[in-house]
Amino acid sequence: MTPVARLSPDEERDLVVAAELGDHEARRRLVEACLPAIVALAGTFRRTSRIERRELVQEGIAGLLLATRRFDPSLGTPFWAYASYWVRKAMQELVADLARPVALSDRAVRVLATVRAARADHLRQHGAEPTTEELSRSTGLPQAQIERLQAAERTPHSLEERVDQDGVAVATVGERIADPQAEWAFDDVLDDIEVGEVRALTDLLDDRERLVIRQHFGLDEPAQTLRGIATGLGVTAERVRQIEAGALAKLRASLARPAVAVPNET
Amino acid sequence: MEPQGTALRHDALVYDSGDEWVELGAAFLRRGLEAGEGGVVAHTRQGLSLMREALGADASEVRFVDVSAAYTRPVRTLASYHAVYAEQLRRTPSLRAVADVQFGPDPGEWDLWTGYEAAFNRSFSHLPAWVLCTYATGSLPEAVREGVWRTHPGVVSGGTWTRSALFEEPERLLRGSSAARRPMQVLRPLPVVDGVEQFRELLARELVAERMPSARVLDMLLATSEVFVNAEQHGGGVVSIRVGRADGRFACEIVDRGAGFDDPLAGYLAPRPGVGAGLWVARQLTWCIDFFTSADGFTARIVM
Repeated sequence: MTPVARLSPDEERDLVVAAELGDHEARRRLVEACLPAIVALAGTFRRTSRIERRELVQEGIAGLLLATRRFDPSLGTPFWAYASYWVRKAMQELVADLARPVALSDRAVRVLATVRAARADHLRQHGAEPTTEELSRSTGLPQAQIERLQAAERTPHSLEERVDQDGVAVATVGERIADPQAEWAFDDVLDDIEVGEVRALTDLLDDRERLVIRQHFGLDEPAQTLRGIATGLGVTAERVRQIEAGALAKLRASLARPAVAVPNET
Repeated sequence: MEPQGTALRHDALVYDSGDEWVELGAAFLRRGLEAGEGGVVAHTRQGLSLMREALGADASEVRFVDVSAAYTRPVRTLASYHAVYAEQLRRTPSLRAVADVQFGPDPGEWDLWTGYEAAFNRSFSHLPAWVLCTYATGSLPEAVREGVWRTHPGVVSGGTWTRSALFEEPERLLRGSSAARRPMQVLRPLPVVDGVEQFRELLARELVAERMPSARVLDMLLATSEVFVNAEQHGGGVVSIRVGRADGRFACEIVDRGAGFDDPLAGYLAPRPGVGAGLWVARQLTWCIDFFTSADGFTARIVM
């Protein structure tokens, strides 16, 4: 039984292809169909003090979306059989990254002390937490190193750790994490992932270029002729054609930029 | 400071343990840094953490790239690396990179990624870069391990660099692994229009009717425009256009009058002087593009 077993093979293929093409609703349906299996996979990982199940599921969803972008239905493999590898791999990466034993060297401990001192200074002077960038400026350390040290010293919360309310233990941390299958808003996770990865080419265009492209090709609105668009903009149809050609050339150029300077060019 | 080289050197490192990968990779990068070269590490988050620790203070001179989600389609992966290398080469005259390739579980796609490694040799052949692709031998199937030797001129194994006797010219390897193509019978004809602007208008209507997401409509219009213009300028004109859904994806076939070309690397070469970038752009924006000759003529099939 696969998570998307209630779909026919063609329906499953169409859903995965639509998700790969960026159809938000298709992604949502696919994640929803696979979520129980993702949660079940997350449950196979040994609970540690550094990783919450929610984090594992979040990584799993990212792994699933990666699978949609690689999956080739023509190879005949059922989607979940393929995707579960990437879901598990994404979770393993998180576990390996966060659950590594953190044994700070003497040098790292000294550096960490410098970071703590800089943080304390900043708090005293500004009354607010410094950003990593500010810490980097005040200590001269790379931001990545600061982030790593801070991650290493962050206080772990065990899933079995008791949570107190008014001095009375009321639940474990694990119990307070909502059950993803029942009520956890995976939509938020999906939105976060999509915001991070989806960047349409039209973002590179200015407002007028974007308007011409959308109206002429009928993107999210009825298509118009160049003359019709020209009337709206108060320019000639030829000018609209030039704007469109310029916009397409700009998009093309953004994808065709050489890596190294061309000889004899400035 | 003089560049270390003016062209690509593409080697592989096969390793048995994470310790070996870190030790050899860090030493490789350090030698480059000492010579004034830039450094790039492309790996998953875990690998990046390990290498960052191993490099210590030198890590600040190295660019770390998370490739967890970068290996989707070969040309898109090449384009991602191209962007990273381009940025680095604006800062240093040459670079060294340690890059971990993300093969998947499906044997059906191994040829695709072995083909990617073959194409890498030509795609970045003009760049002053020494790229060390890394492979953990323990987790790799035999076919993929053999592919490493077929696609890298040099391989570091057991800590020793060896010139690969199995290395194949990329064109030969890619021809050997590509399947024969035929026109898709399910596609429907479109009128042959005069000029790329009319073609775009016509195709946009078809894509919108197919409920293609707007961003992807524009991608497809850009990609097919490149192919259409090629057919008009170099293929003696367009003979026929066919579109429709096949295996769940929107496809467009453009047939021209020309003799066509037999270049398995068409569209895989990163932009450089003297090489047209049209197909490079088109491949980045689509699922796949195939070229073949049929009874109708030389055919370009663009699949979204």
